[in-house]
Amino acid sequence: MEDYTKFKLKRKEELDAVLADKNDLFVVACNKCFKELDSFDEPECGLFEEIAKEQGKNIVGSAQIDFLCNEPLTSKAFQDLIPQDAKNVFVISCGLGIQTMAGLLDIPVYAGSDTVTVDGYHGMALTTTLCEACGQCYLNMTGGICPVVDCSKSLLNGQCGGAKNGKCEVDKEMDCGWQLIYERLEKQGRLQELLDKPVELRDYTKVNHKFVSEYVKSVREERYEGYYGGIHPTEFKELSEHIGLVPFPDPVNVVIPMSQHAGAPAEPIVKVGDQVKMGQKIAQAAGVVSSAIHASVSGTVVAVEPRRHPVSGLDSLAIVIQSDGKNTLDESVKPAGDIDSLSADEIIEIVREKGIVGMGGAGFPTAVKLKSPKPIELVLLNACECEPILTADHRVLLEYADEVIYGLKAMMKASGAPKGVIAIEDNKLDAVELMQAKTADIENIEIVVAKTKYPQGAEKMLIKRVMGKQVPSGGLPMDVGAIVCNVSTAKAVSDAIQLGMPLIERVVTVSGNRMNKPGNYLVKIGTSVKDIVNHCGDVKGDDVTVKIGGPMMGFAQADLNVPMLKCSNGIIAVETIVKEAVECIKCGRCMDVCPMELRPLYFTKFALEENWEGMKAQNTMDCIECGCCEYICSSKIPIVERIKIGKTAIREGK
Amino acid sequence: MLITQLKSQEAIEALAQGKTVIINCHGCKEVYFAEHEADAFQKELSANKEVTQIITTDYICNPDNLKLQLKKHTDVINAADTILVFSCGVGIQTVAALFEGKKVYSCCDTYPLPGFQGVTPLNVDCGQCGECYLNGTGGICPITACSKSLINGQCGGAKEGKCEVDKNMECGWERIYRKLEKLDKLDNMKYDAPKVRNYNNPNAE
Repeated sequence: MEDYTKFKLKRKEELDAVLADKNDLFVVACNKCFKELDSFDEPECGLFEEIAKEQGKNIVGSAQIDFLCNEPLTSKAFQDLIPQDAKNVFVISCGLGIQTMAGLLDIPVYAGSDTVTVDGYHGMALTTTLCEACGQCYLNMTGGICPVVDCSKSLLNGQCGGAKNGKCEVDKEMDCGWQLIYERLEKQGRLQELLDKPVELRDYTKVNHKFVSEYVKSVREERYEGYYGGIHPTEFKELSEHIGLVPFPDPVNVVIPMSQHAGAPAEPIVKVGDQVKMGQKIAQAAGVVSSAIHASVSGTVVAVEPRRHPVSGLDSLAIVIQSDGKNTLDESVKPAGDIDSLSADEIIEIVREKGIVGMGGAGFPTAVKLKSPKPIELVLLNACECEPILTADHRVLLEYADEVIYGLKAMMKASGAPKGVIAIEDNKLDAVELMQAKTADIENIEIVVAKTKYPQGAEKMLIKRVMGKQVPSGGLPMDVGAIVCNVSTAKAVSDAIQLGMPLIERVVTVSGNRMNKPGNYLVKIGTSVKDIVNHCGDVKGDDVTVKIGGPMMGFAQADLNVPMLKCSNGIIAVETIVKEAVECIKCGRCMDVCPMELRPLYFTKFALEENWEGMKAQNTMDCIECGCCEYICSSKIPIVERIKIGKTAIREGK
Repeated sequence: MLITQLKSQEAIEALAQGKTVIINCHGCKEVYFAEHEADAFQKELSANKEVTQIITTDYICNPDNLKLQLKKHTDVINAADTILVFSCGVGIQTVAALFEGKKVYSCCDTYPLPGFQGVTPLNVDCGQCGECYLNGTGGICPITACSKSLINGQCGGAKEGKCEVDKNMECGWERIYRKLEKLDKLDNMKYDAPKVRNYNNPNAE
């Protein structure tokens, strides 16, 4: 593969001269970018150190780092890295890395290398096609061949006349750019067009500094807003955000899996042939981290057997109920009182008994969160809904505002938190206004409006954004005194207390630009995805992927005969993504967007090498699988898949 | 680092002759692509012109990826008279090279931004001059921080620390002076002879 390295070590004579009056050196080298990722120890720190040692210089230390120009990560990496006795820092990198270091450190920083221009400078792929970024694209006149780059003289008005046999007179290896242009236009029958068009003079005025610097500032602010990294995928929320909730027609059969939550699967307490009522408990929690499960319809249990699970894709135990269409309520469904009369423990017991789990996706049992062994200062209600396409939480805010606030108050009481926050992204301003009005008189509940950025709804990101605190590596939100819950969960808590209704239905967005009739529905747990998709007019086209959840973190379904779970917030139909992974080119974009500040490029390499130690050393387990790295990857590498392989191996103790 | 700006609507409309296919590249969207403006404009264009397909994909600067992404649209593209590309200059040239016989037009102008590709725009820039001057200047680049790219000190035109070429810009040499002063290295400016810039071919060595 071609070497695209943009820097080379300075000549020995020059280094000797620079080094002459300096001692106590610290050497920093950048691990190079835009090159095939074949090894991690790249730069020739060694060569520089040899030159310095020849002069009898004292080298107090050295460091090699990825993407030295990535200022936020570099500044963290160097916080305690440079020893006190270092007097001069030498940097071997391109000019960006050297300047970044010079800006960060208070001691003198020197360049050990020169930066050179290489092919493939612009654009993301390692390509030989160049763009000068001249600001007035000429390609429309020239058949898509750039006269600024492909003519050695950057002529805009045709051939200079010096070319021989199609080769440039300046560089005989180079094709004459204007001859290439002529040939292509001739092929397209557009020569007259070229002749008729006046020459557009090139404007060499430098690009307005104010415009560029303000633009750079805004991009950087956006990128680091609230937390490091993140991305802005196209939202497509307009497809369904305005559509009000409708109850989905009652299903004939419901398939209720025993695994709908984090932790141990629930244990069935009914058998085939039993008559059950709506809201009746049909399975009990198996352990502390587990959850009870209830019948979402009244009718007859027709099977207790393994059925295909939408998340794992494997068969797992489920209870199948044939509905009698009557929805007869179970006797246990009755109001439990109100927040004031219930004690904290009583609320937690209700939440546990009514099978409430996190409805944002992970399905962690809510009662376990509320019964925190550490003091809780804040219950953070997550209404970010940062996944594109999904609008379920948005509708819940608009249509169940009072229930959401009630649920939040109940959770604050249960956990002993003095304060509650509802965090909403600024793409749902109608919900923000409504919630602000509803909470105006409540002193200890605040509405936080967060600038839209994916994955803001990830609890660790949200805690950083709202509280400015970092959940420690491997830790939980309670370690920083927070409980994070989805808004639908708050609504479920409210229903459990006010109505006595267990978690048997939820709000689901059915949308995506390949879904014929998008909408938001109140769906019974266990309803078939296939029935829902059919009800919504089926999907458009034959290159469609149906996912449960959002486009970023949802689970693709090969077979739609799977049920909706407590934590399934959407069914989306999107265009199937076609991609072929190629080698990592170390473009650094994955590190640029990773909100956990990890280095995903290492994971791709380590997973293939089965280097689990390396995976551990790079904190693979901290990955939240948000998919930002995969979304941005210019080599189309299935990064998340490889991370999951690594995580599984580490969990298995490899 | 590149920034792409839409050409004027009239200019683009004039280009959309006959059956038109539009290709958007979102690969560097996180850096800059006027997504919403482009979207609104393309809707308008579809109403007035014969737009047969709008394709939105990413990293069209990679020829292999481009081919893969366009595969299912082969028939529409073959039947098209014009292809409009909304991307940086690299992307447009890659599309033009793939469809040599078609009229491929650029709907964007491409500008440079500080920092190289793939990394968030930086506050610092590198001119890739091949003979790094940072050693004498306290780590501030005179090629990019001075609007005249002077290598032997201030031109004398700055007023109150602002450049005479662009009043929004700080004088690079004044910044260098302040930094060296802070480092107690002002002597650098007195005794180091300016290294004359070699414009010939920095790759030659």
